[in-house]
Amino acid sequence: MIDVPETVPTDWPATDPLMLTDGGIAVLNLHALIEGFGDHSNTAEAAALIDLLILRGLILGHISDYDRAAELADRHVAAATTDAAAYVARARTHGVFHRFAEALGDLDHADRITPGGTATKRDRAAILQALGDYHEALVTYGTADCGRPFEQAAALAGFWADCGKTDTARRFYLQSLGSYRGVSPFPLAQLDFQLGVMWMRHGDLNEARACFEAAVRRVPAYAAAQGHLAEVHAGLGEPETAVARLTLLATSSDDPDYAAQLARILGEMGRREESVGWRRMAASRYDELIATHPAAFADHAAEFWLGAGNDPPKALHLAEFNLQVRKTPRAYDLLTQALEANGAGAASARTFGV
Amino acid sequence: MSDHFSGPRALSEPAADITDVYAFPAPDGPDHLVLVLNVFGKSGPSAVFSDAVIYRFRIRSVDIATTGPEAAFAPSESEFIFDCSFDVPSGRSDSGRPLQKGRCLTPSGQSISFRVDEESGGMGAGVQVFAGQRSDPFFLDVRMIEKTMAEGKLAFKAKGSDTLYGTNILSIVLKLEWRKVLKGGPLFAVVCETLAAGKRPVRIERVGRPEIKNVTLSWKQFDQVNRDLDVRDLYNSEDAFNIKGDYFDVYRTRMNANLAFHDGLDGKVDWPFDQHGNHPLTKLLLADFLVVDPSKPFMETSYFEIERSMLERRPHSTPGGRWLNQDFMDFVYTLYVNGGNGLPINDGIDGPIAWSSTTFPYLAPRNPPKAAAA
Repeated sequence: MIDVPETVPTDWPATDPLMLTDGGIAVLNLHALIEGFGDHSNTAEAAALIDLLILRGLILGHISDYDRAAELADRHVAAATTDAAAYVARARTHGVFHRFAEALGDLDHADRITPGGTATKRDRAAILQALGDYHEALVTYGTADCGRPFEQAAALAGFWADCGKTDTARRFYLQSLGSYRGVSPFPLAQLDFQLGVMWMRHGDLNEARACFEAAVRRVPAYAAAQGHLAEVHAGLGEPETAVARLTLLATSSDDPDYAAQLARILGEMGRREESVGWRRMAASRYDELIATHPAAFADHAAEFWLGAGNDPPKALHLAEFNLQVRKTPRAYDLLTQALEANGAGAASARTFGV
Repeated sequence: MSDHFSGPRALSEPAADITDVYAFPAPDGPDHLVLVLNVFGKSGPSAVFSDAVIYRFRIRSVDIATTGPEAAFAPSESEFIFDCSFDVPSGRSDSGRPLQKGRCLTPSGQSISFRVDEESGGMGAGVQVFAGQRSDPFFLDVRMIEKTMAEGKLAFKAKGSDTLYGTNILSIVLKLEWRKVLKGGPLFAVVCETLAAGKRPVRIERVGRPEIKNVTLSWKQFDQVNRDLDVRDLYNSEDAFNIKGDYFDVYRTRMNANLAFHDGLDGKVDWPFDQHGNHPLTKLLLADFLVVDPSKPFMETSYFEIERSMLERRPHSTPGGRWLNQDFMDFVYTLYVNGGNGLPINDGIDGPIAWSSTTFPYLAPRNPPKAAAA
């Protein structure tokens, strides 16, 4: 839990059912947009393509899309050195890979070119939030309000969810739903997902399940929501359902999280032979990703090596690195677990400020 | 694709992002009016219509209220609405396209069913409907337009680079026996809209005339009143036949500023402002609907002829409206920059990858995925 003063929305929204594009159509059209922008003609289209690739990476769990976005962002900045939007777009790709210092550097650069840009402020707030600098993030979200009620409420719902302030997050979530005027299901599915993660961390698996199920209803192909829903199923004593969901994901996504979860749950079910196969796949992929994107995958890889991966020293190394990247409560918790798994005592923990 | 990218909201749902609207007398049938609504510019092969969007054609009989410098239309209060909607696709066609069905609700209450991409479309009483992916008939050189705006001088090359070469859109085509299906005329005002479906549909976008939002309204730097405001989402949310008085001056000021910028691109003033401080085209362009006279024979290049005739106090001689193959960017730059008082301006692009035909559904078949890159 984080101690940040809360400002709760006062007006409760009407709850008319929203008419959204079917999640399958939305994914087809996301592919169609990306294919169509393959030959982007100007800087606005290049920036849009970077955002679309990040969105597809997030929805379908395709790390390859993040890689393509990052490569495009580098080329975009090189080709448009005086375009603030190019730096903002690259900051987003840095943020995806948890390269927060570089992300802030790009946002500073964008601010020097175009002072006071609202998009820059919102991106900066998101980076500060990811770094665990919650006070500064909240202040920055306040200055980023550009009169778009949904965007502002959704950002604050995600912020308070991250802080673990469940009641405030829920109220901003409802305000987001009430102010949404679009038909794309992606923004709302992402909100459902963020709330689900909050409830999961809070230990309320039934609330978490409701949120993840809502996200999956809106966008059935939403990999992270499917993956977390599987974890919740396992936690609620439905491991077979969890295995069915995760098997599909682990074979379709290049993110090793699903194979790692599958290895853990199968191990707990006593299906050791199957577990070992998925464990090998996850270990190999985590090693590849840590070599190329250490900051982005240090936390998840550490969790894997602490659990199904069963390599506590490797987990400790990664948890220490993760704490250098961002000093969030979760990063401290992870390090504590790694220290305990390695038999280190309270004295060791104190040296890291845990 | 004159209206693509026309505001942040439109981009978040590409299948609701209107690229162009066309209205012309059918070249293949007397007494028929053809209306075309295109969405989802640069769409890849998997693109489909949204099941949560209403694709609306609004048609009103219109009179000419005044001519000369105060030229204005007087649209009727009664309206004819054709609403198209679509199902969630099921399966794939032999070509790999998602299989999708749709229907068009006509003003008489008839529901016409059709399959997306089927060239003959669906038939009802006096109405034929097609929906599907086709080649984008629009052509332009976006880079040189941006350069023109950045440098303050015409930057078009003798041979430009077509930004839309080989790209596709999703198109809905209505062919109407207008004397049977519509009332009034022969002048009609046409606006197309996309709306979020539901109990109370919410307008996402509206388009009448081409290049109003992007070329004519989007540039902020010349507007001395609302220099920081992207007016396009606000503009999209307006009823084209009833713009709110509160915001009319926002659009008027922006349009005056941008039209004046374009007029100055050749170093001379062809459109002196009137005594109210307005560009002579502002009022007509803010009547943002296509005006078409289907009683006149089909013509290739007739966009804005009705409006020009009104300004010049003479009867119009063409159907007006807008045909698919007209070189619109050459036309609009010539109109804005010299008003026809000089040589025609050529943007260096003289046609699309494939011309539209004179038979239903008119737009050329979709391009293969790699055509743009090639």
